[in-house]
Order: sequence, then structure tokens, then C-alpha cells
Amino acid sequence: MRNLSDQEIIDSVKRGNDSDYSIIVDKYKNKAFSMLKRMLKNEFDAEEVLQDCFLKAYKSLNAFKGEAKFSTWFYRIVYNTALTRLSSQKRKTESEMTSVEDHFNLESQYVADEIEKKDLSKFVQETITKLPERYSAVITMFYLNEMTIEEISGVMGITVSNVKVMLHRSRNALRDLILKNRLAEELI
Amino acid sequence: MIQITDEILNQYLDGDLNSEEIEQVKSALSGSEKLQRKFNALKIVHDKLSVIKEDEVSSGFTNKLIKQIVNRSVVPKQQKYFIASVATFITILCLVIFGFSISAVISSTSSAAGDSKSVLDSVSGLSEGLVNALQQLFSGAGLSIIGSIFSIIVLISGYFFFEMQKRTKANLGNGQHL
Repeated sequence: MRNLSDQEIIDSVKRGNDSDYSIIVDKYKNKAFSMLKRMLKNEFDAEEVLQDCFLKAYKSLNAFKGEAKFSTWFYRIVYNTALTRLSSQKRKTESEMTSVEDHFNLESQYVADEIEKKDLSKFVQETITKLPERYSAVITMFYLNEMTIEEISGVMGITVSNVKVMLHRSRNALRDLILKNRLAEELI
Repeated sequence: MIQITDEILNQYLDGDLNSEEIEQVKSALSGSEKLQRKFNALKIVHDKLSVIKEDEVSSGFTNKLIKQIVNRSVVPKQQKYFIASVATFITILCLVIFGFSISAVISSTSSAAGDSKSVLDSVSGLSEGLVNALQQLFSGAGLSIIGSIFSIIVLISGYFFFEMQKRTKANLGNGQHL
């Protein structure tokens, strides 16, 4: 069976073939879940929000005209739903922090002895969840979902340069943590 | 000569610099061990981030979601059918009442038709007959019958509506346990 494009699947769902929506769900569920888990810092909430996102997307399929990529459109739903959940939980959200000029300190969240015991890859993977929500979203979209800076900018509703600043800042924070704790001394 | 900042190192890593800037960064990196160390660490972060693994949702997520979507689309259809059937029943009842009234008016005016001379008289006769018929229908035994029919309709509609709401809530509840 040939691989159907997102648009072909959506057209089929719009024609009433609800079960075809499962192809879309299977394609995006893990990537969207990874993003939500890192933003919400909670697996259970992430899965619940993911379910809401797919239902929202399904209900709004008629509004999707195919002008943008489906993935961009869908991740915008995911991102906004996550922010809504965060604000409803009265947690400190990046949207309340006004701009990307805010600073964060990953170092304060770690004890050096704990870091040394961990594998570097695992350490990086885990540290992403310690980043502020919008930063971890940028990292996930860029590296895991392989989205371009422009696409991320479209999803988050911010400028391309702001996305770059957030990406660079996240990398710098991780780098500083590695350097300060001599986590990859032999590689460097 | 550009100043080699963290921003420039990131841009160098992403390939966002022009050829002249690239040469300058390369030259700076080869001339400074500290800068080289910073860049290497940044490259390691980039490489590690490039191979991060995606997390997996619980098994059966897709099936449960699709089931919920199908249930949601079935419930509105049932509601539509229910509302349409109730509306049809009420419309038919209204038509019956209207038909009865008209027939009563016609029968009462036809007896007096021979005596009527003008159109105005026949119109006033018709309206008078209609009022009489409605008065007859909505007074005494007629009113009791209509009231009873409407009460039964309301009771039956209420029962089915309550049952449907219960089923809808149950379906939504099942879907939330994903």
C-alpha cells in the first residue's frame, strides 16, 4: 500500500471515513506526546492533553484548508493547548514571562554527584524537561520533530529570530552544565 | 574581525554564517583552546539533541481515541433523529387540530351559506366560525383531551431525552479513561 499524504488522509476523513483518522493519530501521537511531556513535565497530563488535541484537530478539520502543512497546524493546536493547560494549573508559564529575555538557571537544579552517574545522552534527554516550557518545546520541535525554524515560528506565533534565540539559549545552558560539571571531559 | 560570542558559535554550528565569517570563526577556534573547548561542548550538545528519542503513549491510545470520535459522531445523529421525530409529531398534531378547526368552520358556515349575500359576510362568518370552533376545542372536554395529549408528549420526550443524556455522559466518561 502506498504512503498517503496528510492531505489525502484528511480528505478521506472529511468524506466521512473516521477510521482513517487513526493514520494521522499514529503518525503524530508520539512526537506530540514527547513535546507535551517536556512542556507539562507530567506524563499523565501529557496524554490527557494529547487526547484533547486530537479531538480538537478532528473537530476543526473542516477549517484546515491545506494552506500550511498539517503538521504545523496540528502542532500549533498542541502548543496552545499545552499553554492553556499550564495556565489553568496556575503554573509559571513562559507566556507570563513576557519575552525570551528571561533567564533560567539549569545549574541550580542539579547536584554534581548525581550528574556524574548518568550517561550523557540520558542526561541531555532528561535536562530538556528542566528547561522552561517554551524552550523545551523549541528543542523538541527542532530536534525531534525535525521542524524548520520558520515552522516553529509559525507554531509558536513568535518571530524567527526569537525562535533562534531560544534555541541557542537552550543549547548554551546545556553546554554550560556539561562544561561546569566536566561531563564530557574526554570528548572535549 | 567579528567577536566570537556564544551567538556566533551557535550560528556557525547551524551554518548560518557567510563564508568570510566562517573563516574568521575557524581562525579564532584554532587560536584559542578555551573557545575550541566551548565549541566542542556545544557540538556535543547538538549531537546528543539530534538523537533524542521520542516518548511513547500508552498502548491502545489510538483505538480508544477513534472509538471516542465515532461515539461522539453517533450521539449527535441520534439527537437529530429524536428532535426530528418529536418535531414531526407535534407538527402532525397541530395540522390535525387545524384541520379539525377548518372542517368545523366550513361545516358551520356551509349551512349558513345560502343566506349570505356578500363576500364580507362570508369572511366574517368564517372568522366567527373559526373562533367558535377553537372555543369549542379549547374548552371543557376538548381542552382536557389536548392537555392530556401534550402532557403525554412532554413526558415521553422527557424520558427519551433523559435516557439519551445519560448515554452521552456514559460515552464521554468512557473516553476520558484513556
